[in-house]
Amino acid sequence: MSKCIKSHAGLAGLCALMLVCSLIAPTPSRASCGAVSCFVVIGSQQQVPQEGMLTINGMYNYTPMRLLSGTNGIIPAADQANQRLILDHHQETRTITQTYTLDMNYGVTDRVALQVTVPYLRRKHGHIDEIGESATEFGENANFADNGIGDVRLTAKYNLLPTLRNLVVLGFGMDLPTGDTRARDSLDNVLESSGQLGRGHVGLIGSIYQTYELMPHRLNQFAYGSYRHTFRNRDGYQFGDEFLFNFGLNLVTLPWLVVTNQFNYRYLVHDNVRANLEQSRPPFFGDDPIGIDPTIMNRAVSSTGSTYFAYTPGIQVSLGDLVSSSWTDATAVYFYTQIPIARDANNNLSQGTSFIFGITKSFQLIKPAA
Amino acid sequence: MRNTAKIVVVGLVLAACAYSLVQVPWAWSMGSRVPTVGVQAEDFRLTDLSGKEQSLSQYRGKIVLVNFWATWCKPCTTEMPAMQTVYDKLRDKGFVVLAVNELEDEARVREHIAAYKHTFPVLLDHDNKVANQFGVFGLPVSVFIDQEGRVQEYLKGGLLTEQKIDETIARIQKQSR
Repeated sequence: MSKCIKSHAGLAGLCALMLVCSLIAPTPSRASCGAVSCFVVIGSQQQVPQEGMLTINGMYNYTPMRLLSGTNGIIPAADQANQRLILDHHQETRTITQTYTLDMNYGVTDRVALQVTVPYLRRKHGHIDEIGESATEFGENANFADNGIGDVRLTAKYNLLPTLRNLVVLGFGMDLPTGDTRARDSLDNVLESSGQLGRGHVGLIGSIYQTYELMPHRLNQFAYGSYRHTFRNRDGYQFGDEFLFNFGLNLVTLPWLVVTNQFNYRYLVHDNVRANLEQSRPPFFGDDPIGIDPTIMNRAVSSTGSTYFAYTPGIQVSLGDLVSSSWTDATAVYFYTQIPIARDANNNLSQGTSFIFGITKSFQLIKPAA
Repeated sequence: MRNTAKIVVVGLVLAACAYSLVQVPWAWSMGSRVPTVGVQAEDFRLTDLSGKEQSLSQYRGKIVLVNFWATWCKPCTTEMPAMQTVYDKLRDKGFVVLAVNELEDEARVREHIAAYKHTFPVLLDHDNKVANQFGVFGLPVSVFIDQEGRVQEYLKGGLLTEQKIDETIARIQKQSR
């Protein structure tokens, strides 16, 4: 397991040039939770629509996170407001994230597309806080719930290889820090950054999407890879880099029914917090944590970062091929289930079986030029 | 273990990028060859449903509508009756339709053509070569070529109607006078 990630001062400078972010004085923050969304390839999101066409995706995504068997969920608290990283300070229970995403993908030309992805998140999280600080209790139950817009993503895409049979699309995206980063839990503590709806700073994403018609209009292969780097937020917390790789096949069974099978891999580098290092007392000890290293420095949060490999079967139903009407024209609905195959979450919560339901519709806004 | 996984993923992404980069000149040429109006159309040779080889250049002196299509493409099949009507009307007056099917089984194409009683030449672009030559990456696409072999109109999407075809032919004929 990698234990730390390097600081990215150069990239931070680049980021500063790209976007001006508001700076707000840090407020107290605790815990070290985990929260992710499931991730699958939905072709209409990755492709470049033809010139003048707007493709809209409305998507619902249910992602539960629970402890894996053989783990106890006792993890450090990343108290970035007070610059403290306290080992073994609380125990994770669960996180459930429901995401409603509006994704708009517009073909500026046949090769270039602009995409805006707006997530609305509903997150519930539970953990036991302050382990070792009470002589009579293991810790204190803390619950967290927050709803709101997450980090909005802007993406520019370029269709490098536009042919009937092949497609290679390069993408460059930016996550804007539009999500809430200061929501509080039931103990009135600001939840740590990793459990919040937003990451608190800009993220840059590079991606590549490739498809090939193995059997034209019958069997289609696709692959998608992406890398995301997020800069350190105003609380001194930096989300770890994210690597995604997806590979799958689409099979047209009936003219209106596409069956999809894909494998999804995600690797998340440890998050990083600017803090000292402390150690919680054993449970029921009844005292404050003790200091290990008072130096304030960038430290990897050992319980963050994860490896996740999943199998995702799904179906896509083309409504326009089932019912002929203006409402169903260029419209499809889809359903996917992401089933974990292999997971490693560093004693933290891990993503369980997740579900995605969505609808996609295309509108030709401008008549394409000849 | 985690480092190894990371290296594998990065390697795969880089390999995909490298593949694309290696293909760049090819990709550019494939993707950017939407012929400019007024420019000479590049010749091609394809086999028709009777097994006979046909070329674009053999129709020099006629107005040619090269239509890229597939049986699964609804807009394509929607506009084909209009092509047939105009073909019936003007085939003896220097107009020809070359319906270039993309990547489909010959049997399926034959069945479709028989069902709709189309009589214009249907060519089979099995390897997608001619579509790439004409910058086609979505169906249908229609290209009008004048008597001298120059591209006069390039239409993307299901835009062809009998009136549109008539008007385009009339305009090309007028230009050539």
